[in-house]
Amino acid sequence: MATVPITLTVNGQAVRAEVEPRVTLADFLRDELGLTGTKLGCEHGVCGACTVLVDGAAVRSCLILAVQAEGADVLTIEGLAGDGLHPVQEAFWEHHGLQCGFCTPGMVLTAYALLQERPSPSEEEIREALAGNLCRCTGYQNIVVAVRAAAEKLAGAR
Amino acid sequence: MTLQVLPRGKWLGARVKRVEDPRFLTGEAKYLADIVLPGTVHVAFVRSPYGHARIKSIDTSAAKTMPGVLAVFTADDVTALPPLASGLPVEGLQPTPQPVLAKDKVRFVGEAIAAVVAESRYLAEDAAEQVVVDYEPLPAVVDAERAMHPDAPILHEELGTNIVYQKTTTLGDIEGAFAQADRVFRRRLHTNRFVAAPMETRGCLSVYERASGHLTFYSSTQMPHMLRLFLALFLGIPEHKVRVISPEVGGGFGQKMTIYPEEVVVAYLGKVLGRPVKWVEDRRENLAAATHAKEQIIELEAAVRNDGTILGLKARLIGDAGAYSFNTASALIEPLAGAGLMPGVYDIQHYQHEVIAVCTNKAPVGAFRAVGWTAAQTARELFFDEIARELGLDPAELRRRNVIPPERFPYTTCTGMVYDSGTYRESLERALELVGYEELRRRQAELRQQGRYLGVGISLYVEPTAWGSEIALQAGFPFPSHDNATVTIDPSGKVRVAVSVHSHGQGHETTLAQVAAEILGVSIEDVVVEHGDTDRAPWGMGTYASRSAVIGGGMVALAAQEVREKVLRAASRLLEVAPEDLDIQDGTVFVKGAPDRSLSMFQVAFAAYLDNRTRAEGEEPLLSATKFYDPRATYSNGCIVTVCEVDIETGLVQLDKVVAVEDCGTMLNPMIVEGQVMGAIAQGIGGALYEEMAYDESGQLMTDTFVNYLLPSATEVPPLTIEHLESPSPVTIGGIKGIGEGGLLATPASVAGAVLDALAPFDARIERLPLTPERIVEALRSSESR
Repeated sequence: MATVPITLTVNGQAVRAEVEPRVTLADFLRDELGLTGTKLGCEHGVCGACTVLVDGAAVRSCLILAVQAEGADVLTIEGLAGDGLHPVQEAFWEHHGLQCGFCTPGMVLTAYALLQERPSPSEEEIREALAGNLCRCTGYQNIVVAVRAAAEKLAGAR
Repeated sequence: MTLQVLPRGKWLGARVKRVEDPRFLTGEAKYLADIVLPGTVHVAFVRSPYGHARIKSIDTSAAKTMPGVLAVFTADDVTALPPLASGLPVEGLQPTPQPVLAKDKVRFVGEAIAAVVAESRYLAEDAAEQVVVDYEPLPAVVDAERAMHPDAPILHEELGTNIVYQKTTTLGDIEGAFAQADRVFRRRLHTNRFVAAPMETRGCLSVYERASGHLTFYSSTQMPHMLRLFLALFLGIPEHKVRVISPEVGGGFGQKMTIYPEEVVVAYLGKVLGRPVKWVEDRRENLAAATHAKEQIIELEAAVRNDGTILGLKARLIGDAGAYSFNTASALIEPLAGAGLMPGVYDIQHYQHEVIAVCTNKAPVGAFRAVGWTAAQTARELFFDEIARELGLDPAELRRRNVIPPERFPYTTCTGMVYDSGTYRESLERALELVGYEELRRRQAELRQQGRYLGVGISLYVEPTAWGSEIALQAGFPFPSHDNATVTIDPSGKVRVAVSVHSHGQGHETTLAQVAAEILGVSIEDVVVEHGDTDRAPWGMGTYASRSAVIGGGMVALAAQEVREKVLRAASRLLEVAPEDLDIQDGTVFVKGAPDRSLSMFQVAFAAYLDNRTRAEGEEPLLSATKFYDPRATYSNGCIVTVCEVDIETGLVQLDKVVAVEDCGTMLNPMIVEGQVMGAIAQGIGGALYEEMAYDESGQLMTDTFVNYLLPSATEVPPLTIEHLESPSPVTIGGIKGIGEGGLLATPASVAGAVLDALAPFDARIERLPLTPERIVEALRSSESR
C-alpha cells in the first residue's frame, strides 16, 4: 500500500517517517517508533488506555491516524519525565493508584492534561476528567486520591 | 505447624509501596503485545458471525493470494491437534469436546474457524475478510431453561440433549425442616452473564526453534506451568523442551486461567511455519470469544419460622454454560461452586441442591473472580431481604438471627466446608455502625415522605480462599495441587525469590518480598521476586481463586526460614558461636547481646559459597531452599453495605457509598488488601447495575464493544470505605487468608439489595440482573398494575 511522508515531534524529538494512510497514531507510535508504553485496550475509543497528548490535549491515539498528526507535538508516557518520575507518576506510586498497570500510562497522561488545565481540581472534576479512562483493577478511588495529591505536589513546587 | 505466627517487624504487615510500580508508571513494562521479535508474523482469526450454523464449505483460496499472507489454516489443517475437553474429574459431566478450529459446525458467535497468518496484523485482517465461509444457519438457543426442553435445538447432537450435568444432593433432614416451617418462601433470580474484561486482552507469541525442537511460548496467562503441560501434550513436544513465559499481564480475574483454542493454534502455527507467530486479541474478540461468566438461573425455597430462623433451604441452580466445556472453562464451575457456598455465613443444616449445567449458543463460561459464588450470594442475600420484608423484620436482624456465632468455629457446613475462623457477626455489626445504619433507616422514612427513595443493601459473606487441594475438595472440585517457592541468597548476599504463583496486578513482587525480607532480616531492596517464566520459577499452579497470598506467603516463608537457618549455621562457624545465639537484622548477622560481633550478609554469603570452613561434611553449599505448600482450607469473611437512591421516574440509581468490612486474617500489606477489595467492589457495581452480555434469539451477540458493554468508570463508583478486622487463620502459615474475590462475591447482592430496598414501598419484583433503568422502570410499572 502506498505511503505518505509525515513530520512530527514525539517526546521532543523530530520524527520523519513514511506511513500507510490507514495506520493509526497508536500503531505508529508502538510499531514504528517502539514506544510501547501507549497501550491498546479497545481500539474503539472507549477505554482511554492509548491516551497521548497531541499539542497539549489528551487524545485517543487509536482514533486518529498517524497522518493526522502531521506537524503535531506528541507526548507519550515515555516522554513525561526524564530519568525519574513526574509528580503525577510519584503520586500514583505513593497512593497505590495502579495494579496491573495496563491503563496506567493513559491514566497518568489524562491526569497530567487535567492538571495542566486545572491545577486544583475538585474530586468531582477529577472523576469527570478520568471518566474516559477505564480501569478494571483499582475501583478508581486510589487514582482519584493520587491525582489530588499530585495537584498538591505540583502546587507546592510552583 | 511451624511458622504458625510470622515475625512482624519492619516489613510484614506494613504499607510498603509496590516495588514493581516504576516500570508500569513509565511505560517500560512489557506486556505480550509489546514484545517484538525479528521475523514475527501475525495471526487474525476468522470467527463465526452465527450463534449456530453448519459449515458447508470454507474457501481460503482468495485469502491465500492476498499480499503478505503466509498461510490460512482451517480445521482440516490442524487435524493433529486434539479437541479441548473439560479438565474437571467430576462424575456425570458429559464431555463436549471443542475443536481448536470449528469443524462442521459453529456453536457461538466468535468461535474461531480459520487462522490467517501474514506479515502484519493489518494484512492478516485484510486477508481474513477474504475467507469465504458458506454457512447453513441453524435455530439457536440462548436461554438455559429453553435449552433443557426436549424440542430445543441441540448443540452437541451426539449427546442428544443440551443438559450436560444434573444432580440432586440432599443434606440433613430437608423434609423435616419444611414440615416444621411456619412459612415457606420462594424466589427466582436469573443472574447476568458478565465478563472479566481485563484491560489487556488475551494474546500469545509462539517461537519454535526447529534445530533443537524447543518451543518458547509467550502468553498472557495466569498459569504458566499448566499451560506448559497442556501445550506439551497437545503439540506432542516433550515438556522439557517447552518454555512458557507470561510477561506483564494486564489483569486476568480468572479469564486468563483457561487454556484457549487460540493458544493451541498459535503454538502449532509457530511450530509448523518456523517463524515467530503472534496473536493479540482485539476487544471485539475478547468480548465474543474469551470466557464469559456468572450466568445462572437460581430458584430458592426456604423453610422459615416466624422469628426469621431459616430451618432449611432448597436450591436449584442452572448454569448457562455456553457452547462448550473445556479445561477450567467447565460447564460445572458456576452452578457447582454456587451450590456449595449457598448456605454462606448462615447456620443452615438442612439443605437440598440440584445442580444443572446446560449448553447454549453463547460463549463458553469460565472462571471470573468468585466463580459461582457471586450468583449464589446474590440470589440468597436478595431472598433473605425479601423474607425479612415479608416477616416485617429488619434485614440486619434476620441476618443476626441466622449467622454462625463466633463460638461455633471451626464450623463445618452441611456442604462440607470447614470454616476455620472468622468475624461473621462482628463484621455485620461493624459495617452497620460505619454506615450509620439506624440513622439511615430514619432518613429513609423521612425521604419517602418527600417522594425520594433511599435504599440500604447488606451482603454478609464468607469467601473460600487459599485454593489448594483441601479447599478445592471442600468446594466440590476434586483437583489436588501444590505450589513451590525457591529462595536463594547469592554469593554477594542478595536475595532471589522464585515463585509459581503469578502476579497480574496483585503486587506479589512486593508482598512476597516483604515475607522474605522479614524472615531473612534484610531490606526489601535486597530481594527480587521472579515469576511467570517456567524456566526460572519452580512448578505450581499459578494465580487464581484468592490463593497467592496464602500459598505464596506460606511457601516463601518456609523456604526463607530454611535459608535463614543455613545462613545462621554458616555464620555460627565464622563467629564461633551457636546458631541459636545469632540473629539477623538489617542485613547484619550478629551475636545476640553482643551486636559488635557481627558479619554482613555479604560476608556470610560469600563465605558460605567460597569458604569451605563454613560447611560441615555433607552440607550443601548453596544458600537456597525450595519448599512446597498446599495449605489447609481457610475462609475469609466480611460485610458490604451499599447506600443508594433510586429515581423512580427514570429508574436511575445513584450510589451514595459502599462500606466494606473485611477479614482476611493476617495482612501482608494492608494497602494491597484495600486495593483488591476496592477493585472487586467496582466490578461488583458493574455486575449489579451495568454489565451484561446480551444475545438475541438467533444467538447474535449484542454487546461486542465497550460502547454497548458498559464498564463502570470513575463517575459510577462512589466513595468506598474499607475497614479491616483481623482474625488470623488457625490453620495456615502466618494466619494468612485470601482476599481477592470477596468484593465481587458480595457487592452485587449489596448493590442490588440496596436498589430493591429503595423500591420496597412499591413491591417491585425483579428476577433479572443487572438493574438497568429499563428493568427498574418496568418493575415499577408491573407492580402498579398488580
